[in-house]
Amino acid sequence: MELKEEGARTGDGPAAEVPPLRRIVVESETVPIRVGDYAGPPDPEYGKEPWQLAAGLDGEPTWIEERMRTEGLSIAYGDKRAVKDVSIEVNSGEVLALIGPSGCGKTTLLRSLNRLVELTPAAKRTGRIILDDQDVDSFDVTHLRSRVGMLFQQPNPFPMSIFDNVAYGLRERGSKKPRRRQLEPIVVDALERAGLWDEVSSNLNHPALALSGGQQQRLCIARSLAVSPEVLLLDEPCSALDPISTGIIEETIVELRSEVAIVIVTHNLQQAARIADRVAFMYLGDMVESGPAGQVFGAPREARTQEYVGGGFG
Amino acid sequence: MEAATLTEAPARATLGRDRTDRRVELLLGALASTILLLIAGMILFVLIKALPSFTHNGLAWFGAGGSVDDQLMNIFNSPADPADYVYKLRAWPLLYATALITGVAVFVSVVFSVLSGIFIVEFAPDRLRRVIEPVVKLLAAVPSVIYGLIGILVVVPWVADHLISEDRKASVAYVIQLDGTSILVGIFILTIMICPIMIAIIVDALRSVPEKWVEGAAALGVNRWRAMRTVSLRAIRPAIVAALVLATARALGEAIMLSMVAGSVGFAPNPLDGITFLFEPARPLASTIVDNSEGLSVVPFGQTMYAFAAILLISSAFLSFAGWAARKSFSRYTLGAR
Ligand SMILES: Nc1ncnc2c1ncn2[C@@H]1O[C@H](COP(=O)(O)OP(=O)(O)OP(=O)(O)O)[C@@H](O)[C@H]1O
Ligand SMILES: [Mg+2]
Repeated sequence: MELKEEGARTGDGPAAEVPPLRRIVVESETVPIRVGDYAGPPDPEYGKEPWQLAAGLDGEPTWIEERMRTEGLSIAYGDKRAVKDVSIEVNSGEVLALIGPSGCGKTTLLRSLNRLVELTPAAKRTGRIILDDQDVDSFDVTHLRSRVGMLFQQPNPFPMSIFDNVAYGLRERGSKKPRRRQLEPIVVDALERAGLWDEVSSNLNHPALALSGGQQQRLCIARSLAVSPEVLLLDEPCSALDPISTGIIEETIVELRSEVAIVIVTHNLQQAARIADRVAFMYLGDMVESGPAGQVFGAPREARTQEYVGGGFG
Repeated sequence: MEAATLTEAPARATLGRDRTDRRVELLLGALASTILLLIAGMILFVLIKALPSFTHNGLAWFGAGGSVDDQLMNIFNSPADPADYVYKLRAWPLLYATALITGVAVFVSVVFSVLSGIFIVEFAPDRLRRVIEPVVKLLAAVPSVIYGLIGILVVVPWVADHLISEDRKASVAYVIQLDGTSILVGIFILTIMICPIMIAIIVDALRSVPEKWVEGAAALGVNRWRAMRTVSLRAIRPAIVAALVLATARALGEAIMLSMVAGSVGFAPNPLDGITFLFEPARPLASTIVDNSEGLSVVPFGQTMYAFAAILLISSAFLSFAGWAARKSFSRYTLGAR
């Protein structure tokens, strides 16, 4: 295993204006950690060090680089505290899965990362959210949301054509509307990355709502990708889908994680084990434990985690 | 709700079509056909009755020329012998008044109603909303005579006293009398009359726009106002068209109120008169029919009134069709998923 430090990002794209960060490239055939594979003791340092090595699930080494983190984040709806003092980081190059029983605050935590929770009048936030070393409160909320994309539990394509859906974010962000000719390559690229291009390439002008649920969800992924986010938040994106569509979306997610930091909320522990590099377990608003997927599932430190994941794999 | 029902709908349609279902279907079908037949019969009847007025005048019927009120008087005073019936009519001032008053009122109403709809749904504080909504629905049900009464007793005198100067009255005194009854008041009250129904429809439609679309737009970094315009308003275009058709139909057919406040003179206000234009009187087709209802027994006069009715009927038929086509094209991407 050979470690190299690099001072600049090799990839291009919109994230290039981000200040260069120190990072480590892993060049080796990394062994995917799977549930049960993790043999060593719980790693107390995990999550403390700025950079970790990736254990690519698809065998591909990836960059690990911090994109976002929360510091003592709490959210309350009126008197009810839904998220309590959560500190966690979101890295590009890996998939972070949020798991936990219903009502433990996963959606609330996710929605606070792009400040969508502010659409709920009763919600109050304390604590800091940092995106690329900047407090998210310091920039315009629309800017934040174009850098931190989100996918919802129910696919929610707009009542427009497939093309217009993907182009929507690009068209409506600035004051000047780009032409279709300029948009086309971006739309095609986004659809390709979302794994939908082959199915819709011949009918980009068809209504998006006529697509199947799984296709709609992938269209929503494409719609988010078109504005080139650095972080993608997925709130139970497969819970309304059949196993085949779920499989396709999982593949898409694993492929995307080398470009975008991904946070996925899921109730499906098998799914978390399949696609997540890191898992965070929440319980009644507390972040009980977070660590490599293999550790959280294979050798959880906390009894509550043990109890929860034990049920899922028993 | 959304996509799922789209694919499930056909399955549900083929479910248990038992005999009661068939019978209900037949009954409803028969009722619908009867109504359609009645409407077709009515249109045919009106057209046949109206025919003499159109054939005697040809295309000139729609043109301008002379005083339409004098022409109507001549028709009313036709000799008793059918061979000597007078039909000559140049209906332009009435057509023009109808189009002008309806068009302006509907245009102003659409803009105002969409904006108030957005305000009520998006921005109004809860307490205000709880008052506004029932009031709007109540206003939509107020009979037009009441608007006419308020118009003639309050608005018309106020306009005559405060907005029209003596000089202005004198400047046109040789053609027309400016007494406050005017297209301005007519359009104003008509707008107030048709807004509530439009607002009610638009508010309901905006409310039914799924929250997830708005959230989806917000999550892409699109600001609230822009998301409103590009997602919500776009999605409710069919409802806006429906509101527009309804309001236009009501405006076209509004007779009593307009005949009370718009002057009831067969005069074509001239925009070249500048501000004075607004204070000039006019009388649309529907008011003309109502104002002259006592003369219907005079055969050529009655036929002339039928001609007016035919124009109104054809306009509303055309309106419904255009509305249907517009709704269809606007719903292309919505697929009924709201
Ligand atoms: N808009 C709201 N107003 C008030 N309380 C809310 C609101 N949304 C969520 N809550 C409360 O906050 C807590 C956390 O909710 P949240 O939706 O984040 O849970 P979750 O982990 O996503 O659950 P699930 O797995 O069922 O989606 C719950 O107790 C819920 O009752
Ligand atoms: Mg949730």
